Amino acid sequence: MELICLGHFVLSHNPEVWILGELMLNCSWGGVGGDSIHRIHPALECHSLVVSLSSFLLRFNYRSTHHLTSNGFYEFLNWFDERAWYPLGRIVGGTVYPGLMVTAGLIHYVLNLLHMTVHIRDVCVFLAPIFSGLTAISTFLLTRELWNQGAGLLAACFIAIVPGYISRSVAGSFDNEGIAIFALQFTYYLWVKSVKTGSVFWTIGCCLSYFYMVSAWGGYVFIINLIPLHVFVLLLMQRYSRRVYIAYSTFYIVGLVLSMQIPFVGFQPIRTSEHMAAAGVFALLQAYAFLQYLKDRLTKQEFQTLFFLGVSLAAGVVFLTVIYLTYTGKFSLSLMRYLCPPPRYAKIHIPIIASVSEHQPTTWVSFFFDLHILVCTFPAGLWFCIKNINDERVFVALYAISAVYFAGVMVRLMLTLTPVVCMLSAIAFSSVFEHYLGDDQKKDKEGLGPNIKSIVTMLMLMLLMMFAVHCTWVTSNAYSSPSVVLASYNHDGSRNILDDFREAYYWLRQNTDEHARVMSWWDYGYQIAGMANRTTLVDNNTWNNSHIALVGKAMSSNESAAYQIMQSLDVDYVLIIFGGVIGYSGDDINKFLWMVRIAEGEHPKDIRESDYFTPQGEFRVDKAGSPTLLNCLMYKMSYYRFGEMQLDFRTPPGFDRTRNAEIGNKDIKFKHLEEAFTSEHWLVRIYKVKNEGSSRTSSFLRKARS
Amino acid sequence: MAAAARGPPLSFAMMRLSFVLLLLLLLLLVQSGGGQKKKENMLAEKVEQMMEWSSRRSVIRMNGDKFRRFVKAPPRNYSVVVMFTALQPQRQCSVCRQANEEYQVLANSWRYSSAFSNKLFFTVVDYDEGADVFQQLNMNSAPTFMHFPPKGKPRRADTFDLQRIGFASEQLAKWIADRTDVQIRVFRPPNYSGTIALALLVSLVGGLLYLRRNNLEFIYNKTGWAMAALCVVFAMTSGQMWNHIRGPPYAHKNPQNGQVSYIHGSSQAQFVAESHIILLLNAAITMGMVLLNEAATSKGDVGKRRIICLVGLGLVVFFFSFLLSIFRSKYHGYPYSFLIK
Repeated sequence: MELICLGHFVLSHNPEVWILGELMLNCSWGGVGGDSIHRIHPALECHSLVVSLSSFLLRFNYRSTHHLTSNGFYEFLNWFDERAWYPLGRIVGGTVYPGLMVTAGLIHYVLNLLHMTVHIRDVCVFLAPIFSGLTAISTFLLTRELWNQGAGLLAACFIAIVPGYISRSVAGSFDNEGIAIFALQFTYYLWVKSVKTGSVFWTIGCCLSYFYMVSAWGGYVFIINLIPLHVFVLLLMQRYSRRVYIAYSTFYIVGLVLSMQIPFVGFQPIRTSEHMAAAGVFALLQAYAFLQYLKDRLTKQEFQTLFFLGVSLAAGVVFLTVIYLTYTGKFSLSLMRYLCPPPRYAKIHIPIIASVSEHQPTTWVSFFFDLHILVCTFPAGLWFCIKNINDERVFVALYAISAVYFAGVMVRLMLTLTPVVCMLSAIAFSSVFEHYLGDDQKKDKEGLGPNIKSIVTMLMLMLLMMFAVHCTWVTSNAYSSPSVVLASYNHDGSRNILDDFREAYYWLRQNTDEHARVMSWWDYGYQIAGMANRTTLVDNNTWNNSHIALVGKAMSSNESAAYQIMQSLDVDYVLIIFGGVIGYSGDDINKFLWMVRIAEGEHPKDIRESDYFTPQGEFRVDKAGSPTLLNCLMYKMSYYRFGEMQLDFRTPPGFDRTRNAEIGNKDIKFKHLEEAFTSEHWLVRIYKVKNEGSSRTSSFLRKARS
Repeated sequence: MAAAARGPPLSFAMMRLSFVLLLLLLLLLVQSGGGQKKKENMLAEKVEQMMEWSSRRSVIRMNGDKFRRFVKAPPRNYSVVVMFTALQPQRQCSVCRQANEEYQVLANSWRYSSAFSNKLFFTVVDYDEGADVFQQLNMNSAPTFMHFPPKGKPRRADTFDLQRIGFASEQLAKWIADRTDVQIRVFRPPNYSGTIALALLVSLVGGLLYLRRNNLEFIYNKTGWAMAALCVVFAMTSGQMWNHIRGPPYAHKNPQNGQVSYIHGSSQAQFVAESHIILLLNAAITMGMVLLNEAATSKGDVGKRRIICLVGLGLVVFFFSFLLSIFRSKYHGYPYSFLIK
């Protein structure tokens, strides 16, 4: 809605842009309108809001927001969550970026103050679409500063519908990134504004926006490196001015102090190497300004001597300080981490990072899928910017180059590339439209003629229309399905909703002891905590690798060894996901090798990946599979009683539809476990761990006491 | 008396017999003791020989005879890791060469580590020097890594699972630690080629700047900088980083009919050739946009400008539809196309 109002505001005040805007409206308004529908598409999908809300309820963020609104801000900062990472617990207040929760809580508070009684859940669901509207506005403002109003309008339209951003801003995706992109764009807008004007007012605004960004997302490191880079390049290009000096000096000091107020960030800005560039540029800028001052006062000869002395002295001091600090371990010189592509580093060293699909490099298909025509045209915008360079266009060029590098390294960082692509692409399209649309100002002899102009305009609009259609298609197909409710389609096209997850979590909530501890793989940790309200051992915040490895070890050991681990961790229930009945491929058996790998990383003596393969090196669940696999806990829990089940007349009993194989171990019996619950389509299976010890006190507590 | 008279010769004979027996026994003892000694000698000799070889080269080259004598024959108190390979150029085994490099890194790390001892040796058997060994061990693929324990025959786990784990030295070291309890910290000699190239580049640029110090206008040449920026952008958006990390083949040749496909069929992967094609397409579309702008802004002959404009438009429209059709062929189920199916 904001965007539409904005559009009309701009249109009514600037007749020159009017025609352009009108045409844009015709071709993309459908897209923008469709966008607002599609952002809340998942929310409308299942008739009642409550159903699809579960897709975000499983998020940890919602739980903490709920905690914030019911217990107050200070209680939230001190919150120790004993329901997660049993028996370690987790200090939530000091290990999250609180921006998202505080924003939602604040909106909720204000609405309730005005006697609009909405539930915090509804605020959370619609937070992302609201913030995407704000992102569009700030993109418009930034592009207007860089180029002109027409380009700004186009950029706002682009970012409103581009799939690379919609993926993070659909209703119900209550995520840090959703609000962080707004904060990012707004900070950049204010920065450009303060470099242009050199006024402290805009710079303080920039700092406040930066503070909001720091509180919202770890990606603030991108800002605190890009802005110093901008200043540095301006110095190299001899574009130093008083405005730059005022803007950067204010920004660095105020921004530094503000960013250190976030508990999770703490003293990092003066310790870690990723913040050192900012400090270095600050020092350099002061030195440069001082030299400029001296230059006016001294003769040329004096100045040169002083210059050389000063430079060599400064270089020596900086060098020695860095060596001293690194040597004493005050800050780590972890530059290698940034230069060498992270997935390659992680692949060798940390299996848990390699196992997350978002930490992969990006193929050209993902670029095209997320950005469509923008990815081919934004280099043209970059070209125009560099050809007509000024202070703020230096900034956007640096933004584009660094963001495109990061997006190439990691799929996840496509998100930071998307806004700049929208801006530059808008610049490219806008400069074409500017020349080909509207009346000829020149004489007829020099003009290209109305025919060619209208052909060019038509084809360009056609391309933009295809972009809008693509965005609508991607949004409705790829990004707006609630992840908790699965849907399958029959032959006649009717749809079955598989609601097994919610069924199982509800069962846990209703039928188990309130303090029961549920062991599962970490993917389901937040879901269990959020929807079943039970204590989990590991969850999606994968901060403790050895704890995860212990769960992996329990899953991949045989029953008696696993029982010992589970006893020591006080496990009451084990939850697994099994897709063999309906052919769901994201189940635990398919993830199983990662569990083995992660367990092997910590316990190489007990777990060996090669034991789970056949001599030919295959991972098979049928008779030819390795005996270690056929007797490990995960296999037994997945296929317990499955051997009796005949799904189809054409296949033998115990035929796994996901892996297309008849299972190898049909005679599964448990000694220490018993089946507690299996959902309708067998998607979720829950087992109870028999409690054989007489006392309920955990061995962990006993150990702790002794 | 007769008995007494007969007695001494009998007892004498007995004595002689027992003496002979004793002598025989003694002899046997001495001889067997000698055998023990000889065996020890042989072992010591073997260890010494192996040490000498490994002091000369960290990986010992072996032919069939040496292999049988030092690796297969029983008196041993050392573990041997053997790489069976085919390094001769005519064998055209590029994997063997890569594996050999990793193996050398590992062997050198062991050879020059402080923990170096005579408990573990690294050897290599080339197919062209010991084809009989390959036959004997029933081996039909190279490279293969095997571990021969000091006692007993190698078991299944003593053959390194190359298919699954790959042949990085770190993985090999892990496997060796698993089999022999010898921990090797892999030390890769730092790769100076990057540094040298950088230094060369810097000195080249510096030299160029020095030579042209009177005319530094070209630094302010915006076209050059814009070109450089676009190069980075095109390289990234066409997935060169993916290629760098994953190392896909250049193109795929179908072994049945010999057709070469440049485009990978799945949206999850890509070939090097494919990413180059995409790079060119992206560049062409960008050029089209720039030309469209040029045509409208530049001053000059109208006819010429019209041609430029049409060329630009053609570049944009044609190559974009081409790009879209490639995308469509990779992303199954994508419904839209433009001009080209």
